[in-house]
Amino acid sequence: MKVSEIMTKDLTAVEKDIPVRELIFILNNAEMPNVPVVDEDGILTGFISEKDLIRAALPGYFEMLHSTSFIPDMNQLSRKLTQIADEPIERFIQTAVMSVSEDDDDLQAADLIIRKGVKNVPVVDADGRLVGRVRRIDLLRHFL
Amino acid sequence: MIVTVTLNPAVDKMYWVEGLKMCDVTQEEFLTRAIRSTTSAGGKGVNISVFLSRLGIENVAMGFVGGHTGHVVVRDLRDEGVTTNFVWTHGETRVNVTLLQVGREHSPNLIDESGQTILPEEMDRLMRRYRRMLTRATWVVLAGSLPPGVDPGIYGEMARMAKDAGAKVILSAGGEALARALDASPYIVKPDTREHLALDGKGLTSVDAIVDAGKHVVACGAEIVIISHDVTGDIAITRDDVWEIRASTPTSRFKNLVGADDVFLGGVLYKLSQDALVKEALRFGLAAGLASAESEEKICRNMAVIEERMQNISLARL
Repeated sequence: MKVSEIMTKDLTAVEKDIPVRELIFILNNAEMPNVPVVDEDGILTGFISEKDLIRAALPGYFEMLHSTSFIPDMNQLSRKLTQIADEPIERFIQTAVMSVSEDDDDLQAADLIIRKGVKNVPVVDADGRLVGRVRRIDLLRHFL
Repeated sequence: MIVTVTLNPAVDKMYWVEGLKMCDVTQEEFLTRAIRSTTSAGGKGVNISVFLSRLGIENVAMGFVGGHTGHVVVRDLRDEGVTTNFVWTHGETRVNVTLLQVGREHSPNLIDESGQTILPEEMDRLMRRYRRMLTRATWVVLAGSLPPGVDPGIYGEMARMAKDAGAKVILSAGGEALARALDASPYIVKPDTREHLALDGKGLTSVDAIVDAGKHVVACGAEIVIISHDVTGDIAITRDDVWEIRASTPTSRFKNLVGADDVFLGGVLYKLSQDALVKEALRFGLAAGLASAESEEKICRNMAVIEERMQNISLARL
């Protein structure tokens, strides 16, 4: 079956110049863990997730720690988030973005999601424009 | 690609009741039990999107949603196969209630909320998305009431942007929002005459008044103006013709009028997007609206029933 037949047909996306504060509002209200980044023509250019924001707001050595209990003060997270709240998200975007085409086979989307451990993958048309996303739950529902 | 814009969508909550009495004495409670109820995404553009999707036409629905009821709207649209592109707001999407008394479904009682107040930054977000969508739009439907906080000139601005991008515009609105969009020359104009019983300050009660008002809108640049005459008839005014389209059916057959007008417009768009003649599109549109009005379901999904209802539609030049 084609990706276009199983995907969630939603175009929720952001542009790279929106502030971090607005991104958090969108992720919270749309109940999405991440959101595609597009240019003014709707062409997929990147991806940004809750995880990217947490990483941006934590100290650089965080990745080497096994537990958040090693962080002396969680207020650091709050302070850093407040500092970057009005910054454009551009600095925190993943530009090496994975995507599938709407004409791809469903197994290609499943392979990406399972192998890369991502929660969803953006779907683009032949011109690279965002047309939807395949979520883990779309796959589970589809293959049941 | 067809894009519908519903700035003030709703959750449509419908209740069927045996009778509806208002209590005129003080008592603790006064209960009316519903025989059945339905919940669905609503709003003019949303209804058109759902109808088109049920006929297999890919389309994108845009607008504002918020809160728990906003999720109901988005979820329902996705289940219907419509592509969603809504801006999330700080407020809560409105709920519109319809009470249908069994045996008197042709006279529903409607309670419509005014909708959430839209902030300037939320409007900016929508306009950015709208600009992006125009790069792939062939038809743009601007439909329904405006929520509080939105400038009445917005439909005019959006219609001009769509025309500049090469898309044809269908406008279904009333009051100042409609009046201020006419100079943007939408392709089709369908005035919402439910509350605004006048266009350009003129009452729309007689055929002559409707035709005069329609000709004025055509002179502003519209190609087709469709104005409701009564519950089973509309008048369409173009540059060259004036048509009366009529459904021959008793109103007692109506089971649910909510959304039927939107389905009419959706039917016209469905045919025009396939390069049908205006006459053919008008007949199909009214047949689709009639089929919806005669079914309990808000929006008819059965093409065979619509085709059958075509026999009930007459179209005469005035």
